Amino acid sequence: MNNGRVLLISVFVVLFFFVLVFKLFNVQILEHEEYTYKAQRQQMSTEKIRPERGLIFDRNNLLLVYNKNDVSFYVDIRMAEKNRKYKPKEKIAEKFSEVFGKSKSHYLNLMQTSKKHICLEEKVSSEKTLLLKNFRVAGLYAVDDPTRVYPYNNLTSHILGYVNTEYAGTNGIERVYDKLLKGEEGIRLVEKNALGETIIVAEKDTKPALPGDNLYLTINKSYQSVLEEELDSGLNYYGGTSAVGIIMDPNTGEILALANKKDFDPNLYWQSNDENRRNRSVTDTYEPGSTFKSITIASLLDQNLCRLDETLNVENGRFKFKNVYIRDTHNRDRLSVKDIIVESSNIGISKLVQRIDNETYYKYVRGFGFGNYTASKLPGEANGTLKKPNDWTSLTKTFISFGYEISVTPLQLISAYSALINGGILYEPSLVKKQIKRNGIVVNEFPPIQIRRVISKETSAVLRELLASVVEDGTGKNAKIESVRVGGKTGTSQKLVDGSYSKAEYNSSFVGFFPVENPKVVCLILVNSPTVGRYGGAVAAPIFKQIAQRIIDADINKFRIDDNNESYIKYAVNDVDDQSEIKKKHINNFVKSFEPAKSIIQKKVMPDLKNHSLRDGIVLLTQLGIKYEVKGSGRIVSQSIEPGATLKNGLKCRLECEEITVNGTTVY
Amino acid sequence: MQIDYKLKDKFELGIFFPALFLIIIGLLAVFSATSNNPAAEGNFQKQLFWAVLSIVIFFIVYFLPTNTFRMISIPAYLFSLLLLVIVLVAGKKVSGARSWLDLGLLGFQPAEFAKIGTILALSAFLSRRNTDIESFSDIIKALSIGFIPVALILLEPDMGTSFVFVGLILTLIFWKGISLFGLFLVLSPAMVAVASLFGTIYFISAVVIVLAALLFFKKNIFFSGSIIAFNIGAGFFTDYVYNALSPHQQKRIQSFIDPMADPLGAGYNAIQAKVAIGSGGFFGKGFLNGNQTQLQYIPEQWTDFIYCVIGEEFGFIGSIVTLGLFLFLFIRILRTASAAKDEFLSLLIIGILSVYFIHLLINIGMVLGIMPVIGIPLPFVSYGGSSLLVNVFMLGIIANIYRTRKEYT
Repeated sequence: MNNGRVLLISVFVVLFFFVLVFKLFNVQILEHEEYTYKAQRQQMSTEKIRPERGLIFDRNNLLLVYNKNDVSFYVDIRMAEKNRKYKPKEKIAEKFSEVFGKSKSHYLNLMQTSKKHICLEEKVSSEKTLLLKNFRVAGLYAVDDPTRVYPYNNLTSHILGYVNTEYAGTNGIERVYDKLLKGEEGIRLVEKNALGETIIVAEKDTKPALPGDNLYLTINKSYQSVLEEELDSGLNYYGGTSAVGIIMDPNTGEILALANKKDFDPNLYWQSNDENRRNRSVTDTYEPGSTFKSITIASLLDQNLCRLDETLNVENGRFKFKNVYIRDTHNRDRLSVKDIIVESSNIGISKLVQRIDNETYYKYVRGFGFGNYTASKLPGEANGTLKKPNDWTSLTKTFISFGYEISVTPLQLISAYSALINGGILYEPSLVKKQIKRNGIVVNEFPPIQIRRVISKETSAVLRELLASVVEDGTGKNAKIESVRVGGKTGTSQKLVDGSYSKAEYNSSFVGFFPVENPKVVCLILVNSPTVGRYGGAVAAPIFKQIAQRIIDADINKFRIDDNNESYIKYAVNDVDDQSEIKKKHINNFVKSFEPAKSIIQKKVMPDLKNHSLRDGIVLLTQLGIKYEVKGSGRIVSQSIEPGATLKNGLKCRLECEEITVNGTTVY
Repeated sequence: MQIDYKLKDKFELGIFFPALFLIIIGLLAVFSATSNNPAAEGNFQKQLFWAVLSIVIFFIVYFLPTNTFRMISIPAYLFSLLLLVIVLVAGKKVSGARSWLDLGLLGFQPAEFAKIGTILALSAFLSRRNTDIESFSDIIKALSIGFIPVALILLEPDMGTSFVFVGLILTLIFWKGISLFGLFLVLSPAMVAVASLFGTIYFISAVVIVLAALLFFKKNIFFSGSIIAFNIGAGFFTDYVYNALSPHQQKRIQSFIDPMADPLGAGYNAIQAKVAIGSGGFFGKGFLNGNQTQLQYIPEQWTDFIYCVIGEEFGFIGSIVTLGLFLFLFIRILRTASAAKDEFLSLLIIGILSVYFIHLLINIGMVLGIMPVIGIPLPFVSYGGSSLLVNVFMLGIIANIYRTRKEYT
């Protein structure tokens, strides 16, 4: 029946099949490439792999900065909305409130937003991350969010600097050496499902991240602790708005310690203002006052323009020079050149400096590095003010001779003092000793760099003895130490307040060194506007003494100069072998090491190692002298000695590690 | 006619085997689509169970006395309507539609079973000795029989299945032998309805065309008036239905016009489906190797978008083989229908064929982007117990009719 209609239906059916086949041919054969590309574009995506930032150690391999590998959890709101029927938001809120102990509604409220992505929990520890390891819900993803850890908090804060929220170095060493520390990003190709979850990582197309190099600083953490503690107690005792301290090895220009008070905690840098974060030792200039007389007398002696034993009329403490009066604190009639320095006579040095012509004097001052940036490369460094002779008035040279009309940074001054006492050679101040790759290969060593010879060896030797007299008989008496001969020079400069010199506000400073015969340490202390006492000899010198005493007590052998030629010769060598020194320490069994404040390491308390990378953990344990046993690899998830437990010798800590990979992307 | 007592004469292998292959392809595809998806765990096992059960049912239906179908036609229809009403009251809401009747262990969609009831009842009505398909009242009666379930299904609302019913009713009326003009008149409300979706101007133009046709054939005023009124009514009804649709269904219709307008929203499925099939290429990516499928880029792919799995993992070849099996099956069914001596049985077969065909047309059309995304399953292949059982039941009816085709003269 209905033959016509059978035909009609058949034709219709067959025609429709032709349409389908035609369309299939189009999509699957002709447009195949295009759709393959589209499929790959949405399924495969490249992810950046964050390189691990390099670690920072002090000169004795003590770990100063490391990373804690936290994870942050985010929700892609749109993805969650799209899969609404699986109730992803409710599931997330329930699980998170279970893990983090916050209320369910807290998370639900967070997710009630018009934003596309919201952060649910920031910097989650690996223990908790483990609890969320198999929790897969549409829209939830995890992002590596490491934390830079400065275990000693405020200690060395100005040198280390800090990293910003993007993990880029923003101050101090972190900024100067950011390129070395940050490493190289890797790239991996991952296959993602419709929920944005990573399913497979294409290993063969993965370019691993190269971790940043480790830096070993010239800083000696023990010295740094001493310096900071003493600056703190000094500032506490004498008052003052701020204080700067630098300890340097005069023979190499290596900065052994550098501190500014007030300081800040790099872990919480955002809580401090710029006032506290500023590295005053390089950013702030001041008029050095009497400490500059050493520079003046060195140039005169080097030019043979005076003898230490000749005497001058110092006008009973008041002398009209051109149209200004220059005063001394002691009213003396005549003083020898030596005593001009020992008693710090402004009139004496003013008269002496007239013997040198402007150009030569300028050459010396310049030669000591004043008016130039040092090589420290620290952010915000100032170069100070040193006028060219052409711009000098008839009074300029006179004022410069005792440290006015010139401004310097503490770092410039201590570098110049190093040259004064080390035999006459100016070194670049340095902060980094070596740069080591993760595989242990030393990439770069930073040997001391000589800039120039400023004064002769003989002049330098004279200066050492002259400055020793200052401490032994003169203004620097408060810096005197029994066991080791100390040299130094005090400085008290009136502060320029609103264009005129203040009678109430002073910069009190002292630059000292020891042992005089073969200086190993030079130390500058500057206290800004002290309220108790004002002279450098009364404020800065005692602080210096405390520091010097503690440094010497800790390692008397290093600084003892006796008739034993052997040891003298040994220490005459610039580069001291740390190992042999350590051995010596044990043989003598004489010295105690410092007890630095706020240290998680030397308090003999077990640190919390969870969530640290295994390597960081091992470094910390090694420093504590704890034996360890490792199970697994990756990040530390448990430790057999509870955090906070008191440590005894011979303990063994069992570390369990796990590779933690969380679902989701690594975007940052 | 010579009677052949061989198996081939009693059992149409050309109907059974294509359907069996399609079911097997479906099982493979369901396995692939659900293997990596925790949300669909156990779906393959369920489908396997339904497949085995459906084959048993096929043979039960196959061996029934053929006149059973005529006998049960009216009760089956009434029972279908009853179920459709019950589901509106007591049904379970699944993705916006109240289409699911939950009976504890067993759950099913009454709309699926209503297909059988409606085909039976409509075929029975149309094959009555005194039915005149050219008469206005009989057309109205026939349409009423068909559209009562449509109205109930639209209330769920399940637009896809409603489409299937409309196609089914039209095909049966056509097969009964309506004149082309009559068919045009019957179709005209559908045309007006579709036009009304595009806007007022299209709606008015469509009505004018119908009016012109009526004037051309010089129909009387009363008849013309009723038709026009009916058409305008259909237009407004469509408008009402469109507004009654859930927003996501409305979006799907809009996104058909321009899928790229909202690539992450309503057009998402259409785009992802094409990407899956297109990236499959000529040979496909291999079983269980389709990234698009395994990475779940197409939500609930094991139901309405099952053809993507075939297209992606078995490529152009797999797609064509599947289509070929359908085409072969359809041609065989059509042959059986035209060979059936009894008008009721012939109508019955054509009704069933139309259901299969419309499902295929909408489903594959949707997957390939030549139809809007309307969620209806691909017969025999898609995951879903009700759908598979009903399809195989209907196939059993065809095989049954083939078995006894020579007894009815």
